[in-house]
Amino acid sequence: MITRLMTWLRYLLIPKKRTELDDELEFHIEQSTQVKVVQGLSPAEARRQALIEFGGVEAARELSDRQRPGWWFGTVVQDFRFALRGFKRNPAFSITVLLTLMLGIGSTSAVFSVVDRILFRPLPYQDSDHLVSVGLVAPIEPQEFMLGGSYYEWQDHQKPFAALTSEAGVEPCDLNEVNPVRLDCASVENNFLPTLGVTPIVGRNFLPSEDRPNASRVALISFALWRSRFQMERSVVGKIVKIDGNSTQVIGVLPANFEMPRLQSADVLVPEALDIAAQRRAEPGRPLWAFARLKPGVTPEQAKAQLESLFNYSLQLAPAPFRKEVHYTVRPLRDRQFHDVHQAAWILLGLVIAVLLIACANVASLLTARRAGREREMAVRAALGAGRMRLLQQAVIESLALTAAGALVAVFFAKLLLRVFILIAPEGMPFLSAAKVDWRVLAFTLTASALCALGFGLLSGMTHAQVDALTSRRGAGIRHARLRQFLVTAQIAASLVLLAGGMLLTRSFKNLESQKPGMNYQNVLTASLSLGQTAYPDQQRQMAFFEHLQRNLRWGPGINAVAISDSLPPGGPHRDRVYASLRVEGQPRLASGTGGNVAWRWVTPDYFRALNIPLIEGRGFTDEQVASDNRFVVLSSSLADRMFQGKSPLGRQVHLASNAPADQDPPFTVVGVAADVKNGGLAAGEEPEYYQLRRNRAEDWDRGGVVIVRSNLPADTLKNWMRTQIASVDPTLPVEIRTLEERVEKLADQPRFEMLLVGYFACTGLMLSVIGLYGVTMFLAVQRRSEIGIRMALGARRIDIVQLVLAAAGRMVIPGLVVGIALAFALSQVLSALLFNVKPHDPITYLGATAILAAVAVIATMIPAIGASRVDPIVTLREY
Amino acid sequence: MPTPTDLLQGTLDLLILQTLALEPMHGWGIAQRIQQVSNDVLQIGQGSLYPALYRLEYKGWIRAEWGSSENNRRAKFYKLTAAGRKRLEAERETWDRLSAAIALVLAKPAEASS
Repeated sequence: MITRLMTWLRYLLIPKKRTELDDELEFHIEQSTQVKVVQGLSPAEARRQALIEFGGVEAARELSDRQRPGWWFGTVVQDFRFALRGFKRNPAFSITVLLTLMLGIGSTSAVFSVVDRILFRPLPYQDSDHLVSVGLVAPIEPQEFMLGGSYYEWQDHQKPFAALTSEAGVEPCDLNEVNPVRLDCASVENNFLPTLGVTPIVGRNFLPSEDRPNASRVALISFALWRSRFQMERSVVGKIVKIDGNSTQVIGVLPANFEMPRLQSADVLVPEALDIAAQRRAEPGRPLWAFARLKPGVTPEQAKAQLESLFNYSLQLAPAPFRKEVHYTVRPLRDRQFHDVHQAAWILLGLVIAVLLIACANVASLLTARRAGREREMAVRAALGAGRMRLLQQAVIESLALTAAGALVAVFFAKLLLRVFILIAPEGMPFLSAAKVDWRVLAFTLTASALCALGFGLLSGMTHAQVDALTSRRGAGIRHARLRQFLVTAQIAASLVLLAGGMLLTRSFKNLESQKPGMNYQNVLTASLSLGQTAYPDQQRQMAFFEHLQRNLRWGPGINAVAISDSLPPGGPHRDRVYASLRVEGQPRLASGTGGNVAWRWVTPDYFRALNIPLIEGRGFTDEQVASDNRFVVLSSSLADRMFQGKSPLGRQVHLASNAPADQDPPFTVVGVAADVKNGGLAAGEEPEYYQLRRNRAEDWDRGGVVIVRSNLPADTLKNWMRTQIASVDPTLPVEIRTLEERVEKLADQPRFEMLLVGYFACTGLMLSVIGLYGVTMFLAVQRRSEIGIRMALGARRIDIVQLVLAAAGRMVIPGLVVGIALAFALSQVLSALLFNVKPHDPITYLGATAILAAVAVIATMIPAIGASRVDPIVTLREY
Repeated sequence: MPTPTDLLQGTLDLLILQTLALEPMHGWGIAQRIQQVSNDVLQIGQGSLYPALYRLEYKGWIRAEWGSSENNRRAKFYKLTAAGRKRLEAERETWDRLSAAIALVLAKPAEASS
C-alpha cells in the first residue's frame, strides 16, 4: 500500500519525460521496419508500412500520458492557468466581472448578516417557534400588554397554552457594594424561565414561595454581570448582595445568550412578588407583559379564538369608554420583538436579492459575450480533439476561478459595508451593532457564488463547441445574443424598481426634514438624568437635587434660559392621557370613547423660552406660581381649541384626571396657550398637549428629569460646563448630554438609514445594469460589423448606423422600462409604511426614475453606436 | 469510438504480466511474443500496448530499465516487480474462474441436446 502511494506520488510530482516515450516508440517502429526489411521490402517502404501498422503515434503518446496518476488534476491546473492567462490578457473584462461580483455578493452578505437575526435565526429559547406574546391592545399602548386585574384569571382558565408567564418590566436599580453600579433589574414571574425553556447555568430558578410579597429577596444575575463583577466564580450562588439597599441572595446565573422576550437589557432578574389576591381585586392592576408556550399543534390563531371568553372578562373590567378600543392578540414572539423592523428587513432582503440577480445576469452576460468572441477558438479546440466534457470543464473552471476571486473580494467588501451600516444605523435597529460576517453568512456567500459559478460556467460552456462555427462566418453569436438581450431587459426592469424605491424614500426623507417643528432646535443643550434609588429615596430629595442644579445653571455665563421637564419633544417617550379624562370645570366629560391620546409633560416656567415655543395667549408660568398652593397648566393651541371651541381658556379651571376619584382630580388654572409642537416623532402627527407646572413641592417631582439649557455658547464648551455643573452637585450621577439638534437628528436616523440603504442599492443596481447594457450593445455592434460595413458600402450614412444600433438597444431597454414600471407599481405598496407625505404611486417619482434610467441607457448605448458608425466599410468588407 | 483497449483492458494486462513473468522484455518483444505464443491469434494493437505498459508501471507492477537489445540498440526493458507477481497470480485466478464459468455456460446446450 505504502509503496503504491509512493509510486503514485513520485509520478505525480515528477512526470515522465516525453523523450523517453518517444525513444521507446521509435525503437518499436525501427524493430518493425527491420522485420519488414528482412522480409524483402526496401527500407523506405518498410518504414512506411511499419508506421501504418503502428497507427497514430501521437494518439498512443496521448493515451500513455493519460495513464499517469493525477493526470486529471493536471488538466485542472492547466485549465486554471489558462483561465488566469486569459483574464490577464483581458483586464477590463476581469475587473468588471470582479467588481460586479463584489458588489452583488458583498452587498448580499452584508445585508444577510443584518437581517439574519431578525428573520431567520432562532430565538435563544427552547422550541422558540411555540412561544407567543399574549395580551390586550389599546390605542394608548399598541403593543400587547396585560393587567394584573385579569392576568391571573387568564392564567387559571386558559386552555391553549402549556404555560403562561409574565414579566413586570425592567427598572433601573443600584447594586450597592464597594463600587456601586446602576443596573437594570427585570421583575419576572417564577415560571418565567421554565416557560421560555431557559435554565440557569449555575444555581437554580426562582421557587414559587420566593415570588410572594415579603418573601426573602432572591435574584438571578446575567452572565455579563457574573463575569464583570464576580469573576465567574461559582461561589456567587448563595452570596448576599445589596440591591437598592435590600439584602438579596444570588441564587443563579443566566446563560450567556439569555435575552428578555421584549429585548430590554437586564442585568438582574428578581421575582415579581406581586400580591396576587390584591391584583385580582385591583382595577386595573399592575401592567404586565405576558408570554406563553403553545400546546403542541395549537396555532396562535386557534389560541386566540380559545381565549375569547377570557378577553370578554377583561373587557368588563375596563372603563366603559375604553371598551370599544381595546382588542387582544396572540402572536409569535418573533413578531412581537421585531414588529416594526420586520417589514424593513424583508424589504432589505428583497432589494439585495434584486441586486444579486442583476449582478448574476451581468456576469452571465459578460461571460457569454467573452465566449461568443472565442467561438472560433473553441471550435478549433474541438476540432483538435477536445471532448465536450473537457471544454465544459474548462468553462466551469474559468468561472470558478472568477467567482472564487470575486467571493474573496466580496467578503472584505461585506465587512466594510457592514461597518458602514452599523455606523449609520439608528439605535432602534435590534442586534445590528452585534451583526457580523460570521460563518453562516460566509457559507451563504460561498454557496451563492458557487451557484453563480456553476450556473455561468454551464451556461457559457453548453452553448458552444460546435465545429460548424469554423466554417460559418457569422457564428452562433445570435443565439447568445437572445439570452443576453433578455438578461438586459430583466436588469433594466429590476433597476427601475430599485430606483423608484430609492427615489420614493428620498422624497419622503426630504419631506420629513422640511417639516415645521413648532420650536427652535438651535442652541439648545439637553441633559437626561435619572436619580438613583439609594441616594434619592424620596421625592423631597429628588426635588432638592433638581432645584440645586437649576440654581447652579441659571446664573452661568451666557445662559439664556434653563428649564427642567420630564421629557422632550419632538420624539421620544412622553406622558400620555386619554382625552376623555380631561374636562372643563362645570362641563361634562366626553360621553363615549377615549377621544384619542393627549401628550403631557411636567415643566418648569422657562420651558417655553428654552425651546422657543411661542405663547399664543397668556403669559405662561411665572415664578410666583412655583411657590403657589394652586396648580397651573398651559394648553397647546389644538387642545385649547378642542376643549374651549375657540373661546379663550385663560383663567378657566380644568380637570385632568376625571377617571380618578375626586380627591385625586384637583382643578388646574389655565395660564396660557402655547403653539402646537411636533411631539409624536418625526413622521407622526401632532398630538394635543398640555404642560403641568412643576412647583417647589415634592409631589411634582420624581427621579427622572431632562435639563434644557438655551445658550449662544459653542455646544462643546457648553457640554463640558454642564457636565462639571452636574458633577458638582452629584459626581456619581450618570448623565447623557446632547444638543437638541443631535436628538432630532437621531430621530431621523431610521428614515435616513432606510433612504441610504435603498439609495445605495438603487445606485448599485443602476451601475450594474448600465455595465450590462453597455456590454451587450457593444457586443451586438461588433457582431454586426460586417453587416454595417455592407450597409455603409451600399450608401448608409453614419446617422443611419447610429439609429440602427440605438434601435437594437431600444428593443432591450423599452420593454425593461415598461415591465419595471409595472413591477415598481405593484411592489411599492410594501414601502407605504415607510413613506411620509409621499404616495407609493407618486407620479413624479416614476417619471423621474424612468427618465434617469432612460438617459443613462442612451449614454450607455450611444458610445458603441458612434463607434459602430466609425466602421470603415473597406476594412470590414476585406475581413469578410 | 470503441478502441481495442476498451475491449481488452483486463486481459491485456494479464497477457503482459504473464509474458514478463518469464523474462524482462521491451515493448516490441512483448507484442511479438504474445503474437507468436497465440499462433498469431492475438495481435496487440500498438496504440494500446504502450498505454497499458505505462499504466502497469504507474501501478507499480512492472518496472522499466534502459538496456541494450539483441542488436545492441538502446531499448527499454520491462521487468515484473514483486507486487506484479502477486497481481499476476490474482489475475490468473480470476481469469481461470471466469473462463471456466464461460466454458460451463457454453457447454450447456451441447449437454442438453445429447
